[in-house]
Amino acid sequence: MKQEEYFSSRWTLIISTIGIAVGTGNIWRFSRIVAQNGGGSFLIPWVIFLLIWSVPLIIAEFALGKHTRFGPLGAIAKTAGKNFGWMGSYIVLVSTAIMFYYSVVTGWCLRYFISAVSGNLFKTTDYLSYWNNFSSSFEPMLFHFISMLIVAFVVIRGITNGIEKISKVLIPALLGILLILLARAVSLPNAIEGIKYFFTPDLNMIFDYKIWLNALTQNAWDTGAGWGLILAYGIYMRKKEDITLNAALIGFGNNSVSLLAGITIFSTVFALSSVDAMTQVSESGPANTGLTFIYLPLLFSKITSSNLLNIFFASIFFLALFFAAVTSLISMVELAIRTLIDFGISRKRGLIIVASIAAVMGVPSSMNVDFLLNQDWVWGVGLILSGAFISFSIIKYGADRFRTEIINGTGSDVKIGKWFNFIISILIPVQVVVLISWWLISSTSWDSQWYNPFHIENAGTVIFQWAIVISILILLNKKLVKQTFRD
Amino acid sequence: MSLVSILTSVVVIGIVWGGLTCFLIKAIKYEKKKLNDGEE
Repeated sequence: MKQEEYFSSRWTLIISTIGIAVGTGNIWRFSRIVAQNGGGSFLIPWVIFLLIWSVPLIIAEFALGKHTRFGPLGAIAKTAGKNFGWMGSYIVLVSTAIMFYYSVVTGWCLRYFISAVSGNLFKTTDYLSYWNNFSSSFEPMLFHFISMLIVAFVVIRGITNGIEKISKVLIPALLGILLILLARAVSLPNAIEGIKYFFTPDLNMIFDYKIWLNALTQNAWDTGAGWGLILAYGIYMRKKEDITLNAALIGFGNNSVSLLAGITIFSTVFALSSVDAMTQVSESGPANTGLTFIYLPLLFSKITSSNLLNIFFASIFFLALFFAAVTSLISMVELAIRTLIDFGISRKRGLIIVASIAAVMGVPSSMNVDFLLNQDWVWGVGLILSGAFISFSIIKYGADRFRTEIINGTGSDVKIGKWFNFIISILIPVQVVVLISWWLISSTSWDSQWYNPFHIENAGTVIFQWAIVISILILLNKKLVKQTFRD
Repeated sequence: MSLVSILTSVVVIGIVWGGLTCFLIKAIKYEKKKLNDGEE
Protein backbone atom coordinates (compact mmCIF):
# COMPACT_ATOMS: atom_id res chain seq x y z
CA MET A 1 0.00 0.00 0.00
CA LYS A 2 1.30 3.43 -0.91
CA GLN A 3 2.22 5.56 2.07
CA GLU A 4 0.39 8.87 1.64
CA GLU A 5 0.57 10.72 4.91
CA TYR A 6 3.46 11.64 7.20
CA PHE A 7 3.87 13.64 10.40
CA SER A 8 4.91 17.05 9.14
CA SER A 9 7.94 17.48 11.43
CA ARG A 10 9.96 15.88 14.20
CA TRP A 11 8.17 18.06 16.76
CA THR A 12 4.65 17.09 15.71
CA LEU A 13 5.68 13.42 15.76
CA ILE A 14 7.08 13.83 19.28
CA ILE A 15 4.10 15.79 20.60
CA SER A 16 1.62 13.29 19.14
CA THR A 17 3.54 10.30 20.52
CA ILE A 18 3.87 11.98 23.93
CA GLY A 19 0.06 12.10 23.71
CA ILE A 20 0.06 8.28 23.54
CA ALA A 21 2.44 7.87 26.45
CA VAL A 22 1.00 10.48 28.80
CA GLY A 23 -2.33 9.16 29.99
CA THR A 24 -4.34 8.93 33.16
CA GLY A 25 -1.77 6.39 34.45
CA ASN A 26 0.82 9.16 34.83
CA ILE A 27 -1.50 11.13 37.05
CA TRP A 28 -3.48 8.71 39.20
CA ARG A 29 -1.71 5.35 38.95
CA PHE A 30 1.83 6.64 39.35
CA SER A 31 1.15 8.48 42.65
CA ARG A 32 -0.73 5.51 44.10
CA ILE A 33 2.00 3.05 43.17
CA VAL A 34 4.73 5.33 44.58
CA ALA A 35 2.80 5.58 47.86
CA GLN A 36 2.27 1.81 48.09
CA ASN A 37 5.93 1.07 47.36
CA GLY A 38 7.87 3.16 49.82
CA GLY A 39 8.10 6.55 48.07
CA GLY A 40 11.70 7.19 47.03
CA SER A 41 12.55 3.46 47.14
CA PHE A 42 10.27 3.01 44.15
CA LEU A 43 11.70 5.87 42.11
CA ILE A 44 15.16 4.29 41.73
CA PRO A 45 14.03 1.04 39.99
CA TRP A 46 11.43 3.11 38.09
CA VAL A 47 14.24 5.13 36.49
CA ILE A 48 16.27 1.96 35.75
CA PHE A 49 13.31 0.31 33.95
CA LEU A 50 12.82 3.47 31.89
CA LEU A 51 16.26 2.68 30.46
CA ILE A 52 16.00 -1.09 30.08
CA TRP A 53 12.32 -1.53 29.16
CA SER A 54 10.55 1.61 27.95
CA VAL A 55 13.14 3.36 25.77
CA PRO A 56 14.39 0.17 23.95
CA LEU A 57 10.80 -0.89 23.20
CA ILE A 58 9.83 2.59 21.98
CA ILE A 59 12.89 2.49 19.67
CA ALA A 60 11.83 -0.98 18.44
CA GLU A 61 8.24 0.12 17.79
CA PHE A 62 9.23 3.25 15.88
CA ALA A 63 11.68 1.22 13.79
CA LEU A 64 9.13 -1.52 13.00
CA GLY A 65 6.51 1.02 11.90
CA LYS A 66 8.90 3.18 9.89
CA HIS A 67 10.58 0.22 8.17
CA THR A 68 7.56 -1.92 7.32
CA ARG A 69 4.86 0.79 6.93
CA PHE A 70 2.39 -1.76 8.34
CA GLY A 71 0.50 -2.05 11.62
CA PRO A 72 1.67 -4.70 14.15
CA LEU A 73 0.22 -7.65 12.18
CA GLY A 74 2.04 -6.80 8.95
CA ALA A 75 5.14 -5.51 10.76
CA ILE A 76 5.68 -8.73 12.72
CA ALA A 77 4.81 -10.95 9.75
CA LYS A 78 7.36 -9.02 7.70
CA THR A 79 10.18 -9.18 10.25
CA ALA A 80 9.60 -12.48 12.09
CA GLY A 81 7.89 -14.40 9.28
CA LYS A 82 4.30 -14.89 8.11
CA ASN A 83 3.68 -17.74 10.59
CA PHE A 84 4.08 -15.25 13.43
CA GLY A 85 1.63 -12.65 12.14
CA TRP A 86 -0.80 -13.72 14.88
CA MET A 87 1.55 -12.13 17.42
CA GLY A 88 0.91 -8.78 15.74
CA SER A 89 -2.83 -9.49 15.72
CA TYR A 90 -2.59 -10.20 19.46
CA ILE A 91 -0.89 -6.82 20.05
CA VAL A 92 -3.71 -5.05 18.16
CA LEU A 93 -6.37 -7.02 19.97
CA VAL A 94 -4.96 -6.27 23.45
CA SER A 95 -4.77 -2.52 22.78
CA THR A 96 -8.26 -2.61 21.26
CA ALA A 97 -9.66 -4.45 24.29
CA ILE A 98 -8.09 -1.75 26.47
CA MET A 99 -9.64 0.92 24.21
CA PHE A 100 -13.12 -0.46 24.99
CA TYR A 101 -12.87 0.40 28.69
CA TYR A 102 -10.41 3.30 28.37
CA SER A 103 -13.14 5.19 26.55
CA VAL A 104 -15.31 4.73 29.66
CA VAL A 105 -12.50 6.11 31.87
CA THR A 106 -12.12 9.06 29.46
CA GLY A 107 -15.86 9.65 29.91
CA TRP A 108 -15.48 9.71 33.72
CA CYS A 109 -12.82 12.43 33.40
CA LEU A 110 -15.06 14.48 31.10
CA ARG A 111 -18.04 14.11 33.43
CA TYR A 112 -15.99 15.19 36.49
CA PHE A 113 -14.62 18.15 34.52
CA ILE A 114 -18.18 19.26 33.70
CA SER A 115 -19.20 18.75 37.34
CA ALA A 116 -16.23 20.81 38.52
CA VAL A 117 -16.83 23.68 36.06
CA SER A 118 -20.51 23.88 36.95
CA GLY A 119 -19.69 23.94 40.68
CA ASN A 120 -21.83 20.85 41.15
CA LEU A 121 -18.83 18.87 42.43
CA PHE A 122 -18.57 21.05 45.53
CA LYS A 123 -22.24 20.77 46.48
CA THR A 124 -21.45 17.59 48.40
CA THR A 125 -18.96 16.52 51.04
CA ASP A 126 -19.55 12.78 50.65
CA TYR A 127 -17.51 12.01 47.55
CA LEU A 128 -17.78 8.24 47.89
CA SER A 129 -21.58 8.47 47.57
CA TYR A 130 -21.14 11.00 44.77
CA TRP A 131 -18.96 8.49 42.90
CA ASN A 132 -21.30 5.57 43.66
CA ASN A 133 -24.34 7.50 42.44
CA PHE A 134 -22.54 8.48 39.26
CA SER A 135 -21.06 5.06 38.50
CA SER A 136 -24.36 3.26 39.01
CA SER A 137 -26.30 5.64 36.74
CA PHE A 138 -26.60 5.74 32.93
CA GLU A 139 -24.09 8.62 32.79
CA PRO A 140 -20.85 6.57 32.41
CA MET A 141 -22.38 5.02 29.27
CA LEU A 142 -23.43 8.40 27.91
CA PHE A 143 -20.00 9.92 28.52
CA HIS A 144 -18.32 6.83 27.02
CA PHE A 145 -20.31 7.46 23.79
CA ILE A 146 -19.42 11.17 23.85
CA SER A 147 -15.70 10.37 24.30
CA MET A 148 -15.77 7.93 21.40
CA LEU A 149 -17.53 10.54 19.22
CA ILE A 150 -14.94 13.21 20.05
CA VAL A 151 -12.10 10.83 19.21
CA ALA A 152 -13.79 9.66 15.99
CA PHE A 153 -14.13 13.31 14.94
CA VAL A 154 -10.33 13.71 15.28
CA VAL A 155 -9.22 10.40 13.76
CA ILE A 156 -11.42 10.73 10.64
CA ARG A 157 -9.29 13.72 9.64
CA GLY A 158 -6.18 11.56 9.44
CA ILE A 159 -2.69 12.21 10.73
CA THR A 160 -1.76 15.78 9.77
CA ASN A 161 -5.22 17.36 9.91
CA GLY A 162 -6.51 15.35 12.85
CA ILE A 163 -4.08 13.70 15.27
CA GLU A 164 -1.23 16.16 14.72
CA LYS A 165 -3.42 19.28 15.00
CA ILE A 166 -5.25 18.20 18.16
CA SER A 167 -2.02 17.03 19.85
CA LYS A 168 -0.40 20.41 19.15
CA VAL A 169 -3.16 22.01 21.24
CA LEU A 170 -3.87 19.41 23.94
CA ILE A 171 -0.34 18.39 24.95
CA PRO A 172 1.02 21.92 25.58
CA ALA A 173 -2.28 22.73 27.35
CA LEU A 174 -1.91 19.63 29.53
CA LEU A 175 1.66 20.57 30.47
CA GLY A 176 0.61 24.16 31.17
CA ILE A 177 -2.19 23.00 33.46
CA LEU A 178 0.13 20.61 35.32
CA LEU A 179 2.61 23.45 35.86
CA ILE A 180 -0.14 25.74 37.26
CA LEU A 181 -1.27 22.95 39.59
CA LEU A 182 2.34 22.26 40.61
CA ALA A 183 2.89 25.94 41.46
CA ARG A 184 -0.23 25.97 43.65
CA ALA A 185 0.54 22.62 45.27
CA VAL A 186 4.14 23.37 46.30
CA SER A 187 3.11 26.75 47.70
CA LEU A 188 0.64 25.14 50.14
CA PRO A 189 1.71 25.06 53.79
CA ASN A 190 3.16 21.65 54.73
CA ALA A 191 3.63 20.70 51.05
CA ILE A 192 7.27 19.96 51.83
CA GLU A 193 6.14 16.90 53.86
CA GLY A 194 4.67 15.39 50.70
CA ILE A 195 7.80 16.15 48.67
CA LYS A 196 9.92 14.65 51.47
CA TYR A 197 7.94 11.42 51.41
CA PHE A 198 8.01 11.32 47.62
CA PHE A 199 11.81 11.44 47.52
CA THR A 200 12.76 9.62 50.73
CA PRO A 201 13.76 6.01 50.07
CA ASP A 202 13.02 3.39 52.67
CA LEU A 203 16.37 1.62 52.60
CA ASN A 204 14.82 -1.60 54.00
CA MET A 205 12.45 -1.75 51.04
CA ILE A 206 14.89 -1.01 48.24
CA PHE A 207 15.84 -4.68 47.79
CA ASP A 208 12.24 -5.89 48.05
CA TYR A 209 11.55 -7.67 44.73
CA LYS A 210 7.92 -6.43 44.73
CA ILE A 211 9.08 -2.83 44.39
CA TRP A 212 11.19 -3.74 41.38
CA LEU A 213 8.33 -5.63 39.76
CA ASN A 214 5.91 -2.77 40.41
CA ALA A 215 8.42 -0.33 38.93
CA LEU A 216 8.66 -2.46 35.79
CA THR A 217 4.87 -2.79 35.56
CA GLN A 218 4.43 0.96 35.96
CA ASN A 219 6.91 1.60 33.13
CA ALA A 220 5.22 -0.99 30.91
CA TRP A 221 1.74 0.44 31.47
CA ASP A 222 2.60 4.07 31.64
CA THR A 223 4.93 4.76 28.70
CA GLY A 224 2.86 2.88 26.13
CA ALA A 225 5.95 0.86 25.18
CA GLY A 226 5.02 -2.51 23.73
CA TRP A 227 1.36 -1.62 23.11
CA GLY A 228 1.75 -1.33 19.31
CA LEU A 229 0.46 2.28 19.47
CA ILE A 230 3.88 3.86 18.92
CA LEU A 231 4.42 1.38 16.07
CA ALA A 232 1.21 2.68 14.45
CA TYR A 233 2.48 6.29 14.64
CA GLY A 234 5.91 5.11 13.38
CA ILE A 235 4.22 4.20 10.08
CA TYR A 236 3.72 7.92 9.47
CA MET A 237 7.34 8.92 10.20
CA ARG A 238 9.10 10.62 7.29
CA LYS A 239 11.84 8.57 5.58
CA LYS A 240 14.56 10.88 6.88
CA GLU A 241 13.20 10.88 10.44
CA ASP A 242 15.42 9.85 13.33
CA ILE A 243 14.36 6.97 15.58
CA THR A 244 16.62 6.77 18.64
CA LEU A 245 16.62 10.39 19.74
CA ASN A 246 12.87 10.72 19.24
CA ALA A 247 12.25 7.53 21.23
CA ALA A 248 14.44 8.78 24.09
CA LEU A 249 12.58 12.10 24.12
CA ILE A 250 9.26 10.29 24.43
CA GLY A 251 10.36 7.92 27.21
CA PHE A 252 12.03 10.65 29.25
CA GLY A 253 9.24 13.14 28.46
CA ASN A 254 6.63 10.71 29.71
CA ASN A 255 8.44 10.00 32.98
CA SER A 256 9.06 13.74 33.45
CA VAL A 257 5.30 14.29 33.36
CA SER A 258 4.84 11.51 35.93
CA LEU A 259 7.34 13.22 38.26
CA LEU A 260 5.53 16.53 37.81
CA ALA A 261 2.17 14.93 38.62
CA GLY A 262 3.65 12.99 41.57
CA ILE A 263 5.13 16.09 43.22
CA THR A 264 1.82 17.94 42.69
CA ILE A 265 -0.35 15.18 44.16
CA PHE A 266 1.90 14.37 47.13
CA SER A 267 2.22 18.07 48.03
CA THR A 268 -1.55 18.59 47.80
CA VAL A 269 -2.49 15.49 49.78
CA PHE A 270 0.06 16.06 52.57
CA ALA A 271 -0.83 19.76 52.83
CA LEU A 272 -4.60 19.46 52.89
CA SER A 273 -5.45 16.03 54.23
CA SER A 274 -7.10 16.12 57.63
CA VAL A 275 -6.70 12.36 58.07
CA ASP A 276 -3.79 10.07 57.27
CA ALA A 277 -2.33 11.41 54.01
CA MET A 278 -0.68 8.11 53.13
CA THR A 279 -3.97 6.23 53.32
CA GLN A 280 -5.51 8.70 50.92
CA VAL A 281 -2.75 8.44 48.33
CA SER A 282 -2.33 4.67 48.48
CA GLU A 283 -5.99 3.67 48.85
CA SER A 284 -7.24 2.05 45.65
CA GLY A 285 -10.94 2.74 46.08
CA PRO A 286 -13.48 1.47 43.56
CA ALA A 287 -11.83 0.59 40.22
CA ASN A 288 -8.54 1.95 41.59
CA THR A 289 -9.96 5.46 41.31
CA GLY A 290 -10.15 6.31 45.01
CA LEU A 291 -7.51 9.00 44.94
CA THR A 292 -8.71 10.76 41.79
CA PHE A 293 -12.47 10.64 42.00
CA ILE A 294 -13.04 10.49 45.73
CA TYR A 295 -10.20 12.13 47.70
CA LEU A 296 -8.91 14.77 45.29
CA PRO A 297 -12.32 16.48 44.83
CA LEU A 298 -12.47 16.74 48.64
CA LEU A 299 -8.97 18.24 48.76
CA PHE A 300 -9.71 20.65 45.90
CA SER A 301 -12.66 21.99 47.91
CA LYS A 302 -10.06 23.21 50.46
CA ILE A 303 -7.19 24.22 48.17
CA THR A 304 -7.85 27.97 48.71
CA SER A 305 -10.29 29.96 50.82
CA SER A 306 -12.13 31.12 47.68
CA ASN A 307 -14.82 28.82 46.28
CA LEU A 308 -14.29 30.25 42.78
CA LEU A 309 -10.58 29.46 42.85
CA ASN A 310 -11.29 25.96 44.15
CA ILE A 311 -13.65 25.44 41.20
CA PHE A 312 -10.91 26.72 38.89
CA PHE A 313 -8.24 24.35 40.24
CA ALA A 314 -10.56 21.32 40.27
CA SER A 315 -11.75 22.13 36.73
CA ILE A 316 -8.27 22.40 35.23
CA PHE A 317 -7.19 19.20 37.04
CA PHE A 318 -10.01 17.16 35.50
CA LEU A 319 -9.50 18.93 32.17
CA ALA A 320 -5.83 17.84 32.23
CA LEU A 321 -6.92 14.31 33.06
CA PHE A 322 -9.40 14.37 30.16
CA PHE A 323 -6.75 15.71 27.73
CA ALA A 324 -4.32 12.99 28.86
CA ALA A 325 -6.97 10.32 28.38
CA VAL A 326 -8.28 11.57 25.05
CA THR A 327 -4.84 11.75 23.36
CA SER A 328 -4.12 8.16 24.44
CA LEU A 329 -7.57 7.01 23.30
CA ILE A 330 -6.96 8.59 19.88
CA SER A 331 -3.88 6.38 19.40
CA MET A 332 -5.81 3.23 20.37
CA VAL A 333 -8.51 4.01 17.79
CA GLU A 334 -5.82 4.83 15.20
CA LEU A 335 -4.10 1.46 15.81
CA ALA A 336 -7.33 -0.45 15.21
CA ILE A 337 -8.14 1.60 12.11
CA ARG A 338 -4.60 1.23 10.75
CA THR A 339 -4.98 -2.55 10.93
CA LEU A 340 -8.19 -2.29 8.88
CA ILE A 341 -6.45 0.06 6.40
CA ASP A 342 -3.78 -2.67 6.00
CA PHE A 343 -6.64 -5.05 5.11
CA GLY A 344 -7.64 -2.66 2.30
CA ILE A 345 -10.51 -0.87 4.08
CA SER A 346 -10.68 2.93 3.77
CA ARG A 347 -10.04 5.15 6.83
CA LYS A 348 -13.64 6.37 6.83
CA ARG A 349 -15.13 2.88 6.69
CA GLY A 350 -12.57 1.61 9.18
CA LEU A 351 -13.51 4.37 11.59
CA ILE A 352 -17.22 3.55 11.35
CA ILE A 353 -16.45 -0.12 12.07
CA VAL A 354 -14.04 0.59 14.96
CA ALA A 355 -16.14 3.33 16.59
CA SER A 356 -19.35 1.26 16.37
CA ILE A 357 -17.73 -1.86 17.83
CA ALA A 358 -15.98 0.20 20.55
CA ALA A 359 -19.24 1.95 21.47
CA VAL A 360 -20.98 -1.42 21.97
CA MET A 361 -18.06 -3.25 23.61
CA GLY A 362 -17.51 -0.41 26.09
CA VAL A 363 -21.07 -0.66 27.41
CA PRO A 364 -20.45 -3.56 29.89
CA SER A 365 -17.49 -1.64 31.43
CA SER A 366 -19.58 1.53 31.65
CA MET A 367 -22.36 -0.30 33.49
CA ASN A 368 -20.31 -2.53 35.74
CA VAL A 369 -17.06 -1.47 37.40
CA ASP A 370 -16.19 -5.12 38.14
CA PHE A 371 -16.27 -5.91 34.42
CA LEU A 372 -13.95 -2.97 33.78
CA LEU A 373 -11.60 -4.21 36.53
CA ASN A 374 -11.54 -7.69 34.97
CA GLN A 375 -10.65 -6.31 31.53
CA ASP A 376 -8.03 -4.00 33.02
CA TRP A 377 -6.46 -6.98 34.81
CA VAL A 378 -6.54 -9.41 31.87
CA TRP A 379 -5.29 -7.03 29.17
CA GLY A 380 -3.05 -5.01 31.47
CA VAL A 381 -1.00 -8.16 32.14
CA GLY A 382 -1.47 -9.03 28.45
CA LEU A 383 0.55 -5.94 27.49
CA ILE A 384 3.68 -7.55 28.89
CA LEU A 385 3.19 -10.35 26.36
CA SER A 386 2.78 -7.72 23.62
CA GLY A 387 6.21 -6.33 24.56
CA ALA A 388 7.61 -9.88 24.39
CA PHE A 389 6.22 -10.37 20.87
CA ILE A 390 7.86 -7.15 19.66
CA SER A 391 11.15 -8.29 21.17
CA PHE A 392 10.69 -11.77 19.60
CA SER A 393 10.16 -10.33 16.11
CA ILE A 394 13.44 -8.41 16.37
CA ILE A 395 15.34 -11.45 17.68
CA LYS A 396 13.94 -13.46 14.75
CA TYR A 397 14.95 -10.77 12.26
CA GLY A 398 18.38 -10.51 13.89
CA ALA A 399 18.88 -7.91 16.61
CA ASP A 400 22.17 -6.66 15.21
CA ARG A 401 20.85 -6.50 11.64
CA PHE A 402 17.74 -4.66 12.91
CA ARG A 403 19.93 -2.18 14.79
CA THR A 404 22.42 -1.44 12.02
CA GLU A 405 20.09 -1.52 8.98
CA ILE A 406 16.87 -0.10 10.36
CA ILE A 407 17.47 1.90 13.54
CA ASN A 408 20.81 3.31 12.46
CA GLY A 409 19.68 3.53 8.82
CA THR A 410 18.35 6.47 6.79
CA GLY A 411 17.68 9.61 8.79
CA SER A 412 19.26 8.56 12.08
CA ASP A 413 20.81 11.44 13.98
CA VAL A 414 22.10 9.24 16.78
CA LYS A 415 23.59 5.80 16.14
CA ILE A 416 22.60 3.25 18.75
CA GLY A 417 25.26 0.93 20.18
CA LYS A 418 25.43 -2.84 20.64
CA TRP A 419 23.83 -2.54 24.10
CA PHE A 420 20.50 -2.47 22.28
CA ASN A 421 21.07 -6.09 21.09
CA PHE A 422 21.64 -7.23 24.67
CA ILE A 423 18.58 -5.44 26.04
CA ILE A 424 16.19 -6.60 23.32
CA SER A 425 17.48 -10.21 23.10
CA ILE A 426 18.20 -10.96 26.76
CA LEU A 427 16.94 -8.36 29.23
CA ILE A 428 13.44 -7.84 27.84
CA PRO A 429 12.63 -11.58 27.52
CA VAL A 430 13.92 -12.12 31.09
CA GLN A 431 11.80 -9.22 32.38
CA VAL A 432 8.73 -10.64 30.61
CA VAL A 433 9.13 -14.14 32.06
CA VAL A 434 9.77 -12.85 35.60
CA LEU A 435 6.93 -10.33 35.50
CA ILE A 436 4.23 -12.60 34.06
CA SER A 437 5.20 -15.46 36.39
CA TRP A 438 5.14 -13.14 39.38
CA TRP A 439 1.74 -11.66 38.52
CA LEU A 440 0.16 -15.04 37.92
CA ILE A 441 1.74 -16.78 40.93
CA SER A 442 0.92 -13.92 43.32
CA SER A 443 -2.66 -13.93 42.06
CA THR A 444 -3.00 -17.48 43.45
CA SER A 445 -2.42 -16.14 46.95
CA TRP A 446 -5.29 -13.65 46.84
CA ASP A 447 -7.82 -16.05 45.34
CA SER A 448 -8.11 -19.63 46.60
CA GLN A 449 -10.06 -20.43 43.42
CA TRP A 450 -7.25 -19.05 41.26
CA TYR A 451 -8.24 -21.37 38.40
CA ASN A 452 -11.83 -20.07 38.17
CA PRO A 453 -12.09 -18.15 34.86
CA PHE A 454 -15.15 -16.23 36.01
CA HIS A 455 -13.49 -14.40 38.89
CA ILE A 456 -12.53 -10.75 38.47
CA GLU A 457 -8.78 -10.76 39.17
CA ASN A 458 -7.04 -14.12 39.18
CA ALA A 459 -4.80 -16.33 37.06
CA GLY A 460 -7.74 -18.36 35.69
CA THR A 461 -9.49 -15.45 34.00
CA VAL A 462 -6.22 -14.29 32.39
CA ILE A 463 -5.27 -17.73 31.04
CA PHE A 464 -8.86 -18.41 29.88
CA GLN A 465 -9.24 -15.15 27.93
CA TRP A 466 -5.69 -15.22 26.52
CA ALA A 467 -6.15 -18.83 25.39
CA ILE A 468 -9.39 -18.04 23.54
CA VAL A 469 -7.92 -14.99 21.80
CA ILE A 470 -4.57 -16.60 20.88
CA SER A 471 -6.26 -19.78 19.57
CA ILE A 472 -8.61 -17.77 17.33
CA LEU A 473 -5.77 -15.58 16.07
CA ILE A 474 -3.55 -18.58 15.25
CA LEU A 475 -6.46 -20.19 13.38
CA LEU A 476 -7.10 -17.00 11.39
CA ASN A 477 -3.42 -16.19 10.87
CA LYS A 478 -3.05 -17.40 7.29
CA LYS A 479 -6.15 -15.51 6.16
CA LEU A 480 -5.25 -12.27 7.95
CA VAL A 481 -1.65 -12.29 6.70
CA LYS A 482 -2.82 -13.01 3.14
CA GLN A 483 -5.26 -10.10 3.33
CA THR A 484 -2.54 -7.77 4.65
CA PHE A 485 -0.05 -8.69 1.91
CA ARG A 486 -2.65 -9.03 -0.88
CA ASP A 487 -0.69 -6.65 -3.16
CA MET B 1 14.95 17.02 54.18
CA SER B 2 17.53 14.38 55.02
CA LEU B 3 20.68 13.85 52.99
CA VAL B 4 19.29 10.60 51.53
CA SER B 5 16.12 12.39 50.33
CA ILE B 6 18.15 15.17 48.76
CA LEU B 7 20.45 12.66 47.07
CA THR B 8 17.49 10.63 45.75
CA SER B 9 15.74 13.72 44.41
CA VAL B 10 18.94 14.94 42.73
CA VAL B 11 19.57 11.53 41.11
CA VAL B 12 15.96 10.94 39.98
CA ILE B 13 15.27 14.49 38.80
CA GLY B 14 18.78 14.68 37.34
CA ILE B 15 18.34 11.56 35.23
CA VAL B 16 14.72 12.10 34.16
CA TRP B 17 14.49 15.87 33.67
CA GLY B 18 18.24 16.19 32.94
CA GLY B 19 17.97 13.43 30.33
CA LEU B 20 14.94 15.07 28.75
CA THR B 21 16.71 18.45 28.57
CA CYS B 22 19.85 16.89 27.12
CA PHE B 23 17.93 14.98 24.40
CA LEU B 24 15.84 18.05 23.65
CA ILE B 25 18.95 20.20 23.14
CA LYS B 26 20.41 17.49 20.87
CA ALA B 27 17.20 17.30 18.82
CA ILE B 28 17.07 21.10 18.43
CA LYS B 29 20.72 21.07 17.32
CA TYR B 30 20.06 18.39 14.66
CA GLU B 31 16.94 20.17 13.42
CA LYS B 32 18.87 23.45 13.10
CA LYS B 33 21.61 21.62 11.20
CA LYS B 34 19.08 20.06 8.83
CA LEU B 35 17.48 23.46 8.29
CA ASN B 36 20.86 25.01 7.48
CA ASP B 37 21.62 22.13 5.10
CA GLY B 38 18.31 22.86 3.37
CA GLU B 39 16.84 19.42 4.08
CA GLU B 40 13.49 20.63 5.41
